[in-house]
Amino acid sequence: MGESVKDLLLVLLLFLLSLWYLSHSATRLDRLHHRVETSWANLDGLLQRRAAVALEIARSTISDPATSLILTAAAHQAREANVQDRSMAESGLSGALGLLLHDEISSTAFIEKDLMRELSELTDKIRVAIALHVDAVNRTQSVRKKFVFRVFRLAGRAPLPVTYEFEADVL
Amino acid sequence: MITQPLRIGIVCPYGWDTPGGVQNHIRDLAEYLIAKGHYVSVLAPVIDEDSVPDYVVSAGKPISIPYNGAVARVLFGPIAFARVRSWISSGSFDLLHLHEPAIPSISLLACWAAEGPMVGTFHAAAKKQKVIYAIGPILEPLIEKLSARIAVSEAARSTLTEHLDTDAVVIPNGIYAKRFAHGERVEKWSGNTIGFIGRFEEPRKGLQILLDALPIIARFAPDVRVLVAGPGDSEKVLEDIDMQLRHRFEFLGRISEKEKADLMASIALYVAPNTGGESFGIILAEALAGGSAVVASDIPAFDSLLGHGEFGALFPSENPQELAKIVIDLLREPEKRRALAAKGRTHAQRFDWDVVAEEIFSIYEMSMVGGATVRLASENRAWNRFSTTEWGNQ
Repeated sequence: MGESVKDLLLVLLLFLLSLWYLSHSATRLDRLHHRVETSWANLDGLLQRRAAVALEIARSTISDPATSLILTAAAHQAREANVQDRSMAESGLSGALGLLLHDEISSTAFIEKDLMRELSELTDKIRVAIALHVDAVNRTQSVRKKFVFRVFRLAGRAPLPVTYEFEADVL
Repeated sequence: MITQPLRIGIVCPYGWDTPGGVQNHIRDLAEYLIAKGHYVSVLAPVIDEDSVPDYVVSAGKPISIPYNGAVARVLFGPIAFARVRSWISSGSFDLLHLHEPAIPSISLLACWAAEGPMVGTFHAAAKKQKVIYAIGPILEPLIEKLSARIAVSEAARSTLTEHLDTDAVVIPNGIYAKRFAHGERVEKWSGNTIGFIGRFEEPRKGLQILLDALPIIARFAPDVRVLVAGPGDSEKVLEDIDMQLRHRFEFLGRISEKEKADLMASIALYVAPNTGGESFGIILAEALAGGSAVVASDIPAFDSLLGHGEFGALFPSENPQELAKIVIDLLREPEKRRALAAKGRTHAQRFDWDVVAEEIFSIYEMSMVGGATVRLASENRAWNRFSTTEWGNQ
């Protein structure tokens, strides 16, 4: 009889351990999803700010009417794009801003210099934000592919995060 | 843009009282942030609690253990863990910055204990080791908790990618470039002089390579002299040097920061023949900022710091003949040397704390998106949530 009690206890212990492990894994995945969300919020915010700066540049004296036209159109598209079109819209804005940055601008006005500095600072930050977001997404994807996570459906109904295409060539 | 002061908790894995690159980095960063008006608390293993600055909190006395082929002064165990937990819960931090969270020390414990915005900085660079297959599964879920990872060099970044399959943003170590920009030229140190700074007795610092190259250099530059600074037993090293070359050496012992700046401003060339084990090479950044032309071995850290040879000359590591060739070339052509030094000096501004700390701070900002603050991870468990809702949280 003593044997069977021991067996029962062992089974119970294993059961509790696996319960703990599952709850631990679920917390881990939850944290990763949270990271994907916050890193995206961060990137999204920076991209929005970039669009705003692009509009301001378009209105300033830095750009000629033709450049202004392109910039304004690109910035509006980037701001209003839905998730599917976002990638192309942001790349378009990058291209438009790229044209501006490649020309040597010899503006002396204080406000213009400020705008260009803000743009280059934003560009640096966006680069970092993309790296942070891509890492979070990759991490989440690779964890969700693991056996335990798939079999016990630890991800629940959370959609699998995807890396948006523009992230590689946004700048 | 965050303008209000933050409460930042920094964790140092190694003994605060022992000299080291990580400790220096943390000290400078903490002091920079404090000067900017932020509240900073550094948790570190400490031997002598009376001699540490105000912002350092002791987590206990460090333990010396062999790790990765060197003796590391780290700290772990239940008492240390309890201190880490109480530091986190009483600090009410906006953000934690953990240094070397993959080393068995208090940074790792803090990463385990805390929840919320956390940034990790990885300093070490190492070749891939088999042991990672055993410890990887333990480390990965922990490293995952960091909202952002920083590597101090490309070498440290690839170490991280190879070992833990995760990427990092590269932000170099910082120097106070201004302090080195105003070194005074010292007459007795100038001329055809080669500088070398570091614990010269350690084989990986590569003094031996320079010693082997010197007979060749001396044949073409008869008045060449070598100035060696850093702690160590110079008598022992001198004994092994050829009698005819001994008079070319001068051992300066430990030198102050001011003397270091003066030395960099006076010497013709700074030579770093390190054979490995270097992740960043802060001394090269300091030499460049001080206006010295630099010759270094082509180990990954130096190669990337010197822009693949653009800001300083590189020679194949552990090859005294090639080192000699480059040194002779640069000693004979002062114009070339000066041009190299000038390029290097401009490049060194990139490592100034004004640039580096701002980059780190922008990572802080990005990690704090979402508005959560640092708390103990256990407060997040289901049963704790239950108990606080049930009986209220006074």
